[in-house]
Amino acid sequence: MAHTDILELNLTDISKLIGSRELSSSEVVKATLTRLEFLEDKLNAFITVLPDQALTEARKADQEIASGHYRGPLHGVPVSIKDMFEMAGVLTTGGSKILAEWVPETDSTLVERLRAAGAIIVGKTNLDEFGHGGTSTLSHFGPVHNPWNVERIAGGSSGGSAAAVAARIGSLSYGTETGSSVRRPASYCGITGFKPTFGIISRHGSFRGAWSQDHVGLFARSVKDIALGLDAVAGYDARDPASVHQGPPAYASRLNTSVKGLRVGVLRRFLEGVDPQVGKAFDGALQVLVGLGSEVVDLDIPEVSYAAMTSMMTSSAESAGINRHWFRKHYDNFGPHVRRGLAVGMTITASEYLTVQRARHRIREALRAAFEKIDILASPTTSRVAPPLSEGLKGNGDDTRHASYNQSNLLRLPSMLGLPGCSIPCGINSEGLPIGLQLVGSWFADQTVLNTALAYQSSTDWHTRGPAMVRV
Amino acid sequence: MKEKDKVAHRLALLTGVNLSTADLESIVEEIEDNDRVVAELEDFSHGNPWIASQIQPVGKKG
Repeated sequence: MAHTDILELNLTDISKLIGSRELSSSEVVKATLTRLEFLEDKLNAFITVLPDQALTEARKADQEIASGHYRGPLHGVPVSIKDMFEMAGVLTTGGSKILAEWVPETDSTLVERLRAAGAIIVGKTNLDEFGHGGTSTLSHFGPVHNPWNVERIAGGSSGGSAAAVAARIGSLSYGTETGSSVRRPASYCGITGFKPTFGIISRHGSFRGAWSQDHVGLFARSVKDIALGLDAVAGYDARDPASVHQGPPAYASRLNTSVKGLRVGVLRRFLEGVDPQVGKAFDGALQVLVGLGSEVVDLDIPEVSYAAMTSMMTSSAESAGINRHWFRKHYDNFGPHVRRGLAVGMTITASEYLTVQRARHRIREALRAAFEKIDILASPTTSRVAPPLSEGLKGNGDDTRHASYNQSNLLRLPSMLGLPGCSIPCGINSEGLPIGLQLVGSWFADQTVLNTALAYQSSTDWHTRGPAMVRV
Repeated sequence: MKEKDKVAHRLALLTGVNLSTADLESIVEEIEDNDRVVAELEDFSHGNPWIASQIQPVGKKG
């Protein structure tokens, strides 16, 4: 099979072909590495690439499968991971100058589980320094560029992962999210991004941004692929204090497209200021869900107007706590944005942090009540498409410091409360840039979120579109 | 406490860090903003329970 044909396959198809030995892992990994080498100058999506290691592991996977030792859907499949996860013997930088040469001796839980599943890690992706940012322009290793238009940002902080998947450099990537770092870049890069309920995937061995908001998330080109990737890494881990006891993951086998009677909540007041083309695409997406038998429920949750500022203050205080010693030791080696943010966080007192948590509790209770009336909360993922790199950090248009009906509140809500949420493509604007639909479920209703997204993707083809650069 | 003193009090927590002028300006601006944000969240959360989480080991039963 030609390299370009292999790269157009999604994870589900690659997995089936490798499992049936119609395609070898070595072929898929070679095609992925060739694409990576061809596009990396334009995208800067990777900090570390592991060609030799990946090809050696691919050959080993092919031998295992040939001898009847097939491990499951990720066996022999090339994946990438955000450079937030420790990987034994491999550079792990967090996108920071401080760790520019650091090589850990142990694997994070994510890497352990990917290795156990037989996945082939081809590289570690670029990000905002230690995950602090929403643009992926704040890396010591330079900005990530959006494959749909390299003059646009990929979104952050997991921008390298999103750009890689959008550019067909592997069909699956793992990132992290503290505020919106999976869903935003997924939206900007026109792919599917999913962040499960807090505690579903272990964070052990990854850098902490804010311990009560940090999640591991996934990027792929379809919900089916996300479910396969989730099954491989979800599950209890005593080394992460937030990890939850759960049954064996079976998200992929439980996928179904029935959304008949599903109650889809919409908070219209929070869509003030959303770009008209984004708003139109969102309304169109709602109509698709209605056509499939869902019911749209307009509701108001005024408490959500405090979500972004509560999230931002929590993140600021916890980041400062985590970096208390490094802040003084490495002040000049942090990038300006991160060191200033940490400095501000250092000035938040314990009683102020606890007050913020009290506000968080109130918002949580309001959402708990809302999820008695709805099954899914839907909104545009972001208020606009990927902004130009030239607009800098303000390009995202977020308003996190004011109680308001700004859409930023809906974007930061899932991580702040630990709710499962995804972004799936739902349109392309007149400039040829993708638009994202955000679907958020109640706690541990991860399957409902995935099923709703799958129902949408089964009736539309936005998720199959790709940037022009992948047609080269 | 006067606004100026409040900021000075917070900056004292950063004693020993060699802040550049640009950093200092940005930090002071955000600190002033945070004061307002905390005040708003204090009003918003007034009367609500203080958040608490279980500290017992996982699986431990009475």
